Order: sequence, then C-alpha cells, then structure tokens
Amino acid sequence: MQDMVIMATELDLRGEVCPYTFVKTKLKLEELESGEELIVTFNHAPAVENVPRSLKNEGHKILGIEEKGDHLWKVRIRKA
Amino acid sequence: MKNITVIVRNLPLNTRRNAEALRMSVGLTLCGDKVTVIFMDDGVYSATPAKPELVGAPTLKKEFEALPMMKCAMIADKPSMEKRGVKSLVSNVKAAGRDEIVRTIEGSDIVIPF
Amino acid sequence: MKLGILLTSSPENENTHTVISLSRAAREEGHEVSIFLMYDGVYNVHKKEFAELTERGVSIAVCALNAEQRNVKKVDGILFGSQYDHACIAGDVDRFISFG
Repeated sequence: MQDMVIMATELDLRGEVCPYTFVKTKLKLEELESGEELIVTFNHAPAVENVPRSLKNEGHKILGIEEKGDHLWKVRIRKA
Repeated sequence: MKNITVIVRNLPLNTRRNAEALRMSVGLTLCGDKVTVIFMDDGVYSATPAKPELVGAPTLKKEFEALPMMKCAMIADKPSMEKRGVKSLVSNVKAAGRDEIVRTIEGSDIVIPF
Repeated sequence: MKLGILLTSSPENENTHTVISLSRAAREEGHEVSIFLMYDGVYNVHKKEFAELTERGVSIAVCALNAEQRNVKKVDGILFGSQYDHACIAGDVDRFISFG
C-alpha cells in the first residue's frame, strides 16, 4: 500500500540514443533524493537493455521495465 | 580518475567519424574520468560554426551542448587553424598553441586518435 | 595486466588482424583483455576469430547503436552494450590502445 503513494518523477527520452539516454537519466537521478523513484520513457531499443544494466552497476535499483507499445518502454528506477 | 584525450582529425563532411568521436567523448565521461577533445588537422573544421545540415550531414549541436555539461574541455590546434584560415570556433572550444596541446597529451593516461 | 582495445575500423582493415593477434598474444601471457567495437568496427563481430577470442577469455563489447545503424545482428558471447561500457573499460584497464 505504501508503494502506491510514492510519487515518481517522469523523464521522457523518446528520440534520444546512447549515450544521451544514460547521461540524461543520470543527471535527472542526481536531482533526486536517495529512495526516490524515476520513470524514464525510451523508444531506443538498445537503451532499454543497456541503461538499466548501467544504472544497476551504479547501485540504483530497477523496479520494473514495462513495454508500452511498439518501440516504447517505461523503466522505473529507485535512486540508491 | 584518468585523463582521457580524444583527437579529432578528419574532414567533417566525408565521414561520420568526427561526430562519433564526440559522441564517444560524451560516453567516456560516464565513469568519472576527465575527457579532453583536441581538434587537429582537418578536424578543426568540425569545431567551426558550420551548417552541415545544408548538405544532409549530421549536426554536432547535441555533442557541443553535452560535452561542456560533462565538464569536458575542448581545444583546437592553432597551427592547424592558421594553415586552413579557420578563424572562428563554436563556443566552448578554445584555440590552443602546440605547447598546450603537447601538455594535454603528456598529461593523459589514454589518448584516442579517432 | 588489464589491456583495453578500441577498434573502429571494418574487417578489411589490417587493424582487425593486429587486434586479433595482439589479443591472442596477451591472453597467452596471462593478461586480461577487453575489446570495444564501435563505428565500422562493429562489422568485426561476425568474424570467427572474434568468437574464438571470447572462448580464450577475451571480453568483447559492441556499441549497440552503431550495430543497429549498420544492421549488425546480435552474436552470442558478445555484449551489445553502450558507450558507458566503453567508459568502464577505459577506466578499469592498465593500458589502452586504439585502432581506427
């Protein structure tokens, strides 16, 4: 129940490719407090595999990856 | 932390190499290393306020915005500029003499001529 | 020693042969080798020698964007990664050589 009330910041990265997908996600995460959530929208397929993997490597938690349509994904991240 | 220098040397409109060198430079900052880009030889043309989109070539706008944001220094080799009559550079790229170019390379852990 | 190699030229370039030979020699001497393929270097992923290098313990990653641009399909044993992976290689190795 508590999870449902957590407000997540949204970041739309449609049209962005590597490394900007990661750069912009990382810069946005820097603005957040530890434990806060960020939802990032991508339409660049390699980013959906690579950005979460790189973020995990930086210690962040990937809460979920949801396919929202043809070449559109939402990745939910909890800042470390 | 390492000092990484990327050297851009090609003509900008015949190849995507220079654009890719700059994209790679943005990426190289992501593990905390300090990246410097040197524009040298024909590569100095990439640092001029040109309009590559007029001939269907990719612009470097995004790279030139991202590199300073990632605290990446950009310098252009003065002798290469003088030889080609290049007088103006995009903002955030500064002209540097050979002494500074040599110092930059000397102080680098990795040098990538792209 | 950890050795990092960046390869940006396509397979017909002599660089490919040099990278393969150098990587084999480094492995035989017990060194760790990581190769990053980007730009036209991504075309090397289908060379059988690169598959053999992975079997010898060489870690190989490819810029997935460059591969997608060139319609280069995924290959088992090779990471279709990002420029972040390249940055990690550069940050981690003792020596780094670029071939382009």
